[in-house]
Amino acid sequence: MEHVARLNAVSHRYKAVFALNDVTLDIPAGQVVGLIGPDGVGKSTLLGLIAGVRRAQEGEVTVLGQDMRDARARTALGAKIAYMPQGLGRNLYPSLSVRENLDFFGRLFGQKREERHARISMLTEATGLAPFLDRPAGKLSGGMKQKLGLCAALIHDPDLLILDEPTTGVDPLSRRQFWELIDRIRAKLTDMSVVVATAYMEEAERFDWLAAMNDGQVIATGSPEDIRTKAGKATLEDAFVEMLPKEEGEEVGVTLRPRIEQDGAVPAIEAFDLVKRFNTFTAVDHVSFTIPEGEIFGFLGSNGCGKSTTMKMLTGLLQPTEGRSKLFGEELENGDMAARQNIGYMSQAFSLYAELTVRQNLELHAKLYHIPAQRRAVRVREVLDEFELTEIAEALPDGLPLGIRQRLQLAVATIHEPRILILDEPTSGVDPLARDAFWRKLISLSRDKGVTIFISTHFMNEAERCDRISLMHAGRVLDVGTPQELTERRGAQTLEEAFIAALEGETQDEDAPSNTAGLTADVATKTASAAHRAMSRLWAYTTRETLELVRDPIRMFFALAGPIILMLTMGFGISFDVDKLSFAVNDMDRTPESRRLVEAFSSIPQFEQQEDFSSLDELDQLMERGDVTLAMEIPDGFGKALHQGLTVPEISIWIDGSMPFRGETTEGYTLGLLTQFAEDLEAETGTESSASLSISTRYLFNQAFKSAHAMVPSMIMLILMLIPAIMSTIAVVREKETGTIANFRATPVRKVEFLVGKQLPYIVIAWFNFWVLVGLGLWVFEVPWYGSLPVLGLAALFFVIATTGFGQLVSAFTRTQVSAVFATAVIAIIPTVNFSGLITPVSTLAPIGRLIGLSFPGAWFQPVSVGIFLKGFGLSDVALNILMLAGFSLIYLVLSVLALRKQEA
Amino acid sequence: MLKSLANILRLTVKELRAIRGDLVMIVLIIYVFSAAVWLVSDAGSTEVQDLSVAVVDEDHSPLTARIIDEIRAPLFASPALLSPQEAEQAQIDGDYVLVVALPPHLERDLRRGDEAEIQILADATAVAFAGTGSTFMSELLAETVSDYLTPGVEGDDLVDVVFRSRFNPNLTARWFTAVMQLMNNVTILMMILSGSSLIRERERGTIEHVLVMPVRPHEIVFSKILATGGVILIASVLGLILVVQGAMGVPIAGSIWLYVFGAAIYVISMGALGLMLASFTHNMGQFGLLAIPVIVIMILLSGGITPLESMPEWLQFVMHLISPATHFVSFAQSVLYRGAGLDLVYPDLLKIAAMSLIALVLVLARFRKILS
Repeated sequence: MEHVARLNAVSHRYKAVFALNDVTLDIPAGQVVGLIGPDGVGKSTLLGLIAGVRRAQEGEVTVLGQDMRDARARTALGAKIAYMPQGLGRNLYPSLSVRENLDFFGRLFGQKREERHARISMLTEATGLAPFLDRPAGKLSGGMKQKLGLCAALIHDPDLLILDEPTTGVDPLSRRQFWELIDRIRAKLTDMSVVVATAYMEEAERFDWLAAMNDGQVIATGSPEDIRTKAGKATLEDAFVEMLPKEEGEEVGVTLRPRIEQDGAVPAIEAFDLVKRFNTFTAVDHVSFTIPEGEIFGFLGSNGCGKSTTMKMLTGLLQPTEGRSKLFGEELENGDMAARQNIGYMSQAFSLYAELTVRQNLELHAKLYHIPAQRRAVRVREVLDEFELTEIAEALPDGLPLGIRQRLQLAVATIHEPRILILDEPTSGVDPLARDAFWRKLISLSRDKGVTIFISTHFMNEAERCDRISLMHAGRVLDVGTPQELTERRGAQTLEEAFIAALEGETQDEDAPSNTAGLTADVATKTASAAHRAMSRLWAYTTRETLELVRDPIRMFFALAGPIILMLTMGFGISFDVDKLSFAVNDMDRTPESRRLVEAFSSIPQFEQQEDFSSLDELDQLMERGDVTLAMEIPDGFGKALHQGLTVPEISIWIDGSMPFRGETTEGYTLGLLTQFAEDLEAETGTESSASLSISTRYLFNQAFKSAHAMVPSMIMLILMLIPAIMSTIAVVREKETGTIANFRATPVRKVEFLVGKQLPYIVIAWFNFWVLVGLGLWVFEVPWYGSLPVLGLAALFFVIATTGFGQLVSAFTRTQVSAVFATAVIAIIPTVNFSGLITPVSTLAPIGRLIGLSFPGAWFQPVSVGIFLKGFGLSDVALNILMLAGFSLIYLVLSVLALRKQEA
Repeated sequence: MLKSLANILRLTVKELRAIRGDLVMIVLIIYVFSAAVWLVSDAGSTEVQDLSVAVVDEDHSPLTARIIDEIRAPLFASPALLSPQEAEQAQIDGDYVLVVALPPHLERDLRRGDEAEIQILADATAVAFAGTGSTFMSELLAETVSDYLTPGVEGDDLVDVVFRSRFNPNLTARWFTAVMQLMNNVTILMMILSGSSLIRERERGTIEHVLVMPVRPHEIVFSKILATGGVILIASVLGLILVVQGAMGVPIAGSIWLYVFGAAIYVISMGALGLMLASFTHNMGQFGLLAIPVIVIMILLSGGITPLESMPEWLQFVMHLISPATHFVSFAQSVLYRGAGLDLVYPDLLKIAAMSLIALVLVLARFRKILS
């Protein structure tokens, strides 16, 4: 095969913006092919289309001879393509160990246990990860994460390996090791084609064939040499800059003017033995340095080596654990507002308000820095001019290219004309032209305005522009000096080599010998049956989901303790047993009869007597404060009238109606008491009762008439509706947010396998929850049960399958965890609480409410739960409900499969 | 001090801009304070109304016909006539809350002065309705029977009772649920909005950016509460005046301004609580998992759904201690229904304010920590 992938007239757009504009490209097979170009020119989109994780919108994409628009072909190709998405370790699972991660990927390709073991040990031997098999992926260094990502990609012997910016944000040593590893692997697996996207031009020099991209189009192809000679430049970076369309008179290149040293001046920044510990982890370990005013001081080091933490301590954002720092000779103290006026800070990621326009962002910062009102407008205009932002002043930052956003951040950081700028990787992901422009700004600030600049970077050519640099590793400063000094000190040719040499001295422990000797493709590959492969993929997701859940304390707490807490609080709290109603009396009669009437109330536990009141005004006060629920006034002559029987005595009763349920119940109790009182009197006085009718009430299914007995079975329904649904909805959306959804898109796993695999652990947990809740009901709330618990268990099983399925259905439509949680809660809670018989019996609901209720599984499970606990139901009574619940499970699964997209737009 | 106020004001304006930019959120706010209040207060009532009743009439006399005729709206739905066997099955199926069993020869026995018994079978699984419903039913039966047997004779009651239901003469639940629904929405929205605005700033890194400036953490916290609180407060007051008082016709006894004052304090407490929960979590997902049970418990155990007095004492104590919602419910009932003045409700307001203060102190104490 001559070409591994062919693109013909491919266009791709996100809303109105073209990411790819009519690209036709043939990528040669069996080579390392590089896609080069700045951020946002369409490299990732192109790779996504080739990997099949993005849906081709226009044009033809043919990969390994198959048309990528054909879903069947894509599924078949899934086993031949490996895709490592952008972002360091973004498709890895941080809480899983190296071995567990690789196990997961092996299962996705249907490998059996022995094969997986063989491959894992082979790959980890080859990459030097073997000693760290049990370390969680999240605790690996950047370089190791990358290697793990590579192992995961290679686990199934792909024919085509697609790497999207695999080395962005990794230190030069790890970068170099990574490419050496790729070379060694390629030497063994000669047939494999590799397609890499990168923003580092130095790296591209080692590729066989390049496609340079700009603005959604391929602007040049050929070997690195071809491209250099065509442009007539010595380096690829220069060649690339040369090829870009240029506006007339645009400045190119950066010249560093010498700095005029001032002897005896107070240094701008001094750090003395700074230490920062997070729990047991030491992020910054006794770091000291001095930066004179007006210097450009560079910070070099790998990800997570403590650069950002050090910078944050100098801005006052973080409090050092030990040590201190001075700005212009003044001790930096927490909450020192004056010191902050001197600092401009730019954090690693874009951190301005996306909801404010460029101008509004500048104005807000100007105001917060207390630039006087008359000066503010002028200053904002100046900065807009200076950073060439005037044209886009009214635009929102989210839509702007990265380079311009970084410029805006710098503009914001300088609006109050600070004397110190602290810039944390300001140029990461910015294209070479924009980076040059950015540096010209910095140099002018330093040289013309004497601003001290403290900057961190991954780019060696930027490091070389600094007056002095400091090499950092694992929280310590390895070396400080001018770029020349450092290079000479290590006896190296270039700064990069010097840096690598310095790091190599430090990282022996991590850099286990890698042995590619055993890396051959002839591991016994037993072809498993299709059914076995499908089960293996499903199981891959189940085991992984379980492990992740077990290792996330917050989710685990919510899953296990959440139902118990809800049951206890609601079981005790939601009670319709109206007790201890406070009542007060104004007994103006004070006869034995009136006292007897009062006693009728005070003698039962439903009423609790308060202080007597003596006037209506007093009563008003009592009732307004809510101190009294029922008040009774017995007029003078009550007893007499009762005795004589000539007139019917009248008493007045007031009931607090502000809580209607309580009011009604109070009225009911009162009526009962008064009837009883009258009957007792009649019996004593022998007055003839006119009719001999007795009306008796029998409470069915809950003879004790206790709220808890009726509410607990319904509450089980409510809790099992809410918590499992939220858990499962999060499980899917989380993958979208963290980026691990790429594994679902790029591997042969099917939608059903993915969904069911992820659902299983939650079904198990929810069913376990169910038994815990039943236990609480039986022993804590002492709810009797008359029916068959196994049948209830069966119904609960189908109910939780349905509710977890409901959560997954919601997750198919939502993008973020928060919207998924609230969508699930809002959609599920209202019908479940109001229309499924929890409080209002279904039989008294209006038809529309009844219908809404019945379209959710809760209304079908509630009668089963209540029936089995209280009415002695067996299987035959609830068979229809169980069938309906099974139906819901199936419908939710089918809808989720239909709604879930295997490809991105 | 002046600078601090100016900062708060500026940050508040920024927060308001953020809310204005979020169309979905605005629609949601409008929905919950208008349509949702109306819908839920219509549906989820605990008052006895249109209760489903069946009658087993084994007498078929004019008396039983009269009784069947008297069982009617608004308290009861018109009854279904069933055979004893049907009635038993129907009640097992949960089709009727009450079944009235009229025995054979009821009228004859009563006219002769013999003993007779009418049985009311109440489905006690519908615990909120069975008790009150059967009390009302037995009153109705007794009255109907005595009216029928001795027409024209004024009740031979020994005692004449004048019932007055204060503050809500007809004991309609819609009043109550509507106002409680408003409070629930304030609780949900305020907690989620304030909490997620903090987490969003943290996830995007904007909070770091602001903290590098001469801005103090409390200025950020206050601005968030001020902005979201202002919006929610205005929305809830409009909901009260336009929807609850206007469209639903619920009379409001007390001073609206006193209510607004109390609601403002409550809104602050919810904002502070939301921020506090946010300060204990790392991302939106965790915040959601934590916020949902807290909201559910706070709403269900506020005293707004079932009376607080019926909870076990320890639970009442705990809820009074930790949940501002319990105090707000009692405040809202006093003001809106009972027309109580500030002199009567200030203890509740003080307690809510104290809780907000504690939550705010916690948030500020954790503020630096959440950056690392």
